[in-house]
This record gives sequence, C-alpha cells and structure tokens, in this order.
Amino acid sequence: MRFLIEHLQKSYGKKQVLRDVDFAFESGKIYGLLGRNGAGKTTLFNCLNHDIKSDAGAFWLEEDGQRRPLKAADIGYVLSTPTVPEFLTAREFLKFFVEINGCCVPGGLDECFEIVHIAPEDRDRLMKDFSHGMKNKMQMLVNILAQPNVLLLDEPLTSLDVVVSEEMKQLLRSLKAGRVTILSTHILDLALDLCDEIVLLGHGELERVDRADLDSADLRQRIIAALREEDDG
Amino acid sequence: MDKTLRIMLRLKSSYRINSILYGIGQFPVLGRFLPEGLYRMRLPKAAAAVLGAVWEVVLVFLGKALYFFTMVCGIGYLYRQADPRAVFLHILVLFTLMGSTLNNTMFDAGREQYYAILLMRMDAKRYTLLRYGYAMAKTVVGFLPFTLLLGTACGVPGWACVLAALAPAGVKTAVAALSLRCYQKTDRTLLEVGLGKVQWAVALAVLALAYGLPALGIALPVWLSEAAMAGMVAGGVCAVPYLARFGMYREMYQYLISKNMHQLDRAKEASRSYDRNTISADLSITSRKKGFEFLNELFVRRHRKILWRASLRITVVCLVAVGAALIAVLVSRNAAAAASRILTQSLPYSVFIIYVLHRGSGFTRALFMNCDHSLLTYSFYKQPDMVLRLFTIRLREIVRINLPPALVLGMGLPAILCASDGTFRAAESALILVSLVGLSIFFSVHYLTLYYLLQPYNAGTEMKSSVYQLALSGTYLVCFFIMRLRVPTLVFGLGCILFCTLYCAAACVLVYRLAPRTFRLRN
Repeated sequence: MRFLIEHLQKSYGKKQVLRDVDFAFESGKIYGLLGRNGAGKTTLFNCLNHDIKSDAGAFWLEEDGQRRPLKAADIGYVLSTPTVPEFLTAREFLKFFVEINGCCVPGGLDECFEIVHIAPEDRDRLMKDFSHGMKNKMQMLVNILAQPNVLLLDEPLTSLDVVVSEEMKQLLRSLKAGRVTILSTHILDLALDLCDEIVLLGHGELERVDRADLDSADLRQRIIAALREEDDG
Repeated sequence: MDKTLRIMLRLKSSYRINSILYGIGQFPVLGRFLPEGLYRMRLPKAAAAVLGAVWEVVLVFLGKALYFFTMVCGIGYLYRQADPRAVFLHILVLFTLMGSTLNNTMFDAGREQYYAILLMRMDAKRYTLLRYGYAMAKTVVGFLPFTLLLGTACGVPGWACVLAALAPAGVKTAVAALSLRCYQKTDRTLLEVGLGKVQWAVALAVLALAYGLPALGIALPVWLSEAAMAGMVAGGVCAVPYLARFGMYREMYQYLISKNMHQLDRAKEASRSYDRNTISADLSITSRKKGFEFLNELFVRRHRKILWRASLRITVVCLVAVGAALIAVLVSRNAAAAASRILTQSLPYSVFIIYVLHRGSGFTRALFMNCDHSLLTYSFYKQPDMVLRLFTIRLREIVRINLPPALVLGMGLPAILCASDGTFRAAESALILVSLVGLSIFFSVHYLTLYYLLQPYNAGTEMKSSVYQLALSGTYLVCFFIMRLRVPTLVFGLGCILFCTLYCAAACVLVYRLAPRTFRLRN
C-alpha cells in the first residue's frame, strides 16, 4: 500500500503555505516530518485530515495498483495536546469508540488497555483525573484500535516523561507494519532515532532526505543546513 | 509633541485600529471582501483611526452623561424637599470622594502597561505621568460641560461648576500620591494595605450618605461642598510634585503587572477547573445504551448539576410564583382584575420570560467544554451522519431539560386567567400553553442551531466568533422589543406558534445541510 499526495496546494490569502506537495509514502515505514516553525506541517496534517480544504491537488491510497480517495476512516490523527472526553471513564470512552467505529476487539476491552499499559485500577476512573501522559495513551489507543491506514502524529511525544515517551516509541515501532505513519516533530534526535525516513517540508514542498551512506552526525548537519537554507531562500 | 506621549498615543491608537479591523474581518460575508494585507493599507487604517478617535471622544462624554443624568441629577430630582443646589453638590462631592479610590487609573496594570513599560521598555515615569495626565485631562473635559450645564440649572455659580469639574482629577491625584507614598514605605499600594478590604464598605456607606441624607431633607451645606471641592483641587495640586518626584514606577508596575497576570492565569484555571468540577464523580452513574445514546446519557447524567438542577430550580420558582398569583387572584378582586387585564394583553412578555428562564446557552457551553472540545479532534466524530445523529439526540435533550418551566407557566397562566373571572376559557388557555411550550422549543432549537452552525470556540476553548456573540445579543434585543408589543393574546399566540414552527423547520434544514461542514473546531 502507498499513500500518495499529488500537487497539494494551500494558501492563506497570498501566503502560499503548501505550494506543491507531491510525495509517495510507503506502507510499513515511519516518516519523520521536519520543518521550520510556520513551514506548514500542521496545515498539511489538517488538509490530510479534512479539517481544512486544500486549494488544489489530491491524495490517494494505492492498494494493489488501484487508487482510491482517502476516507475519514483511513486516517488517525494524534495531537500533541491529548484531548479526551473528561466526563467518561477510560473504559466508557473505549466502549463508545469501539461501538461507533465498529472496531473488532476479540480479547475484550481489558486486553486493549494492556497495549498502552493502562493499569486496571485506572480503567474505571474518570479521564478528567488522568495525567497528560495517560490521556496521550488513551488517544493513541483509540487510534490504534481504529487501525487507520495513515497515522498522523503531530508532536506526539512532547511533554511526556521519559518512561511514557519510551513506551510510546516502542508502541509506534510495533504498529508501523501495514500502515503509513507520519510523525511531525521539532526534535531531530527523535526523528533520527524513531523514523525510517526523514522528510523536510520547506518552501511548501516535501523533500526526502537520503539517509544512505551518512552517519548520524553528517545527517544531522545536512538536515540543519537544508532547513536553514529553506529559511534563507 | 513629546516623544513618549506620541508613542503612547500611537500604541493606544494602533491597538484600537487593529481591534476594529480584526472585528470587521470576523464577519463571515464582510470578512471575505476585505483585501489582502489589510493591516498595512492606509485607507482602511485611516478609516479605523477616525472611528477609533470618534469612539475615544464619545467615551469621554458618554460615561459622564450617564453618570450625571442618572446618578447625580436623575436621583437628585427625586428630593423635592431639599435645596436642589445643595443636593447637586452633596451627591457630587460624595461620589467624587468615592471615585477617587474606586475609579483611579494610576494603578491600572494591564496589557497596555505591560506592552509599554515592560515589553517596549519605555521610561516608566514619563509614560505614567503622561498617561495619568491624559486621563485626568479627559476627566476634566468630560465633566466640565455637565457641571456647567446641570450645575447652573440647579443654581450653582459658574466658578463652583468649574471647581466641580476639577475636583475629581484633584482628589484622584491626591489619592494616587498617597498610595505611591504607601508603596514606597511598605512595598504595597494603599489598596492592598487595607483600603481594599474596607473600600466596598466605605463605598456603600458613602452611597447611603449621598442618597440617604437628601431623602431625609438633609444635604451638606453649599459652602461645605464648595470648600471640600476646593480642598480636593488643592490636594491634587500639592500632590503633583510628589508624583513627579516618585522614582519607583517601573518596580511598582512590574509588581502589579505580574500580580495581575497571575490573577488572570488563576481565573483561567479556575474557569477550566469549574468546567471539570461540573462533572459528577459518582461512578455509580452508568448507561446500558449504545453508541451516541450511551455518550449522551452519560453526559447528561454526569452534568445533572448544571443541566437539570438549574431547570428544576426554575420550575419550582415558577410553581411558587403561579401558586402565589392564584391565591392573590382568588382572595383579591383587584388582583383578579389586574391579572385578567395583563394576561389577555401581555402575552408578548412571555417571550422575554422564557428567554430569561431558558438554559440553552449554558447547555451548549457545557457541550463544548466537556465533550465536543475533545471529540471534535477525532475524524469519526466529524462524519456528516455522526454529526446529524448526535444533533438529533441533543435537540431532544435540550428540549426536554428546558420544558418543565415552560409547562408550569403554560398551565399556570391559563389557570390564573380562568380563576380571575371564574370562566373557563378553553381556546385562550390552549393557546397560551402551546405558545409557551412552542417558545421553549424555539429557544432550544435556536441555541443548538447557532452552536452547530457557528461553532464559536477554538481548540484552546476561546470564544472566537463575533457573529455568534452578535447573534446572542440580537436574540436578547429581539426578545426585549417583542416584550413591548401590545397585541391581543389570540393574535400573538397564533403568530408565535406559526413563527416557532417555521423557524424550527428552517433551522433543522439548515443544520442538516450545513452542520457537517460548520461543526468543526475553529482555527
């Protein structure tokens, strides 16, 4: 499966944020999306998630050589600030999500909680009392259960403690098979550590960074130079 | 012109101009026609500057006009037995004293002061003195026409009228100097040291003296009022050198600004925690339903405190009011006649009553803050069929919650009407009942439709739609003006039912067509 973006454009007034985004993402890989502040990473995610309308271009899923438009059910979008309905318990939220989306959970809800290490005593607590990290886990969990073909992660590990952050990284690695995962981040170390491919967003276009034959230090220098160039250009 | 004064006025003016342009840009249709780069174009900025300047001038006189025509002369005219000249000066002197602490801009430490003193590092002393001087000049200019016009009408001599316009600036300046001195000695302003705790008690006492004494035919002697005003002006003049000498403006504003910012943060957090605290922690509340019915039932039951409890309290109040009115009608012939006259002619009042009793805006706010704010970030929740399915469930719920008070009034008012003349008026009774229930349903549809079509909040739970706010204000104004209509119950009732039916149908069609596109988090 491939996720194809073709000539995607988005402007705010005269400011062209996405000029010509044209890229093919391969299934089974985690892509690290890097860009300067204001480069348009969130705009790109919002366009892909149908939160805002793009001005031109299209995006498709290609399966067995057949293209089809991306449906809402194909996308999972995890925000940096986790948002969960605080008047529900974790179990109630999961139950509601599973029913609405028709997700298959043969092992029951408790088995789902094990995936993101939510302790049994926390499963029947109102989520208004959850910490940032636990809310993040819940947000990630429902996106896992929905089994989206494309998983968009906007700064997902920001402000998580080191333990939860490591758990999340492991989780993302274990989930990457069979789907396209795109992770937007400002943390270069995270992108180099977790992602299979690095993609730069600059001048409203996506550009792949070739990781071959480069050690980590060289790659880091090259990425920073490229991003700096975007700003100067 | 002085450089600091020029920067201060430009800062103030830029802030106002940009606020005007931003406000215009928020209108859905108008905003689309605004040109690109609006904020750097001369003509729109000049137009906004003119508007801003006009508004500044209007503000100088508008507040003072309201103050004089209502609080000073409006109430002053009620005291016929006292000398109008003495009453005019009596009220003015006492209120001027009260305003010296309650309305003193020296210790305003908000965004404007933060930008100027801390962010742009302007000379704190020059900035403060110019800002305060400008504010005092506006006070004198604003007061003078009214003290001259209304004072001379009461027989106050011209020189005393001029003194009355200067006195507020004088006493405020004197109090500012005292407070600065207090800060210099204790690191705290006068308001913090103790005046803050008693100032409202003092204000109430002054208010009682200002209005209470003339009611008893007592007013400060004219000579004493004139002497007090002269003293205030002299105090102000004496205080000016101290204000000019005071050298701790920057430290003081830094302290006041950080304190205020902290209070703002606390207020924001308090508002957020209020929203969270409205959620019942009772885990015995469960639901056997499925899907959106499950979500809705848990939402309503866990928010019973703010949704149902308010409605039930209002219902009880309505029941008591209807019961009291029934007793009054049964025991008093006059009350019966009045009730009959009012109820057959004043059904338009019910629009305003139902508007006031309706909890629709609170319902939609709770929906956003504790439910939609989070769920609107999930793509499944924004699917057109999901949006519409939930809208239908919520419409049923908001109608149900708001119906009890309307039902009580809808049955109570006809009962009072029938009891007032001892005849059973079936048609009128049915009409009143249906109109009130119809109005309640109308407001439910109205608030939920506005919420779904204009969804006014962004991800940071900030209200971002001026159109939504205008629509809410418009609702109030329309209800207020309908209240002034004098039409027979039959005509109004039939018109009301027809309008409600048409509006509800149109609103539902609009929601079904547009809500899947409009029910989104604002950017």
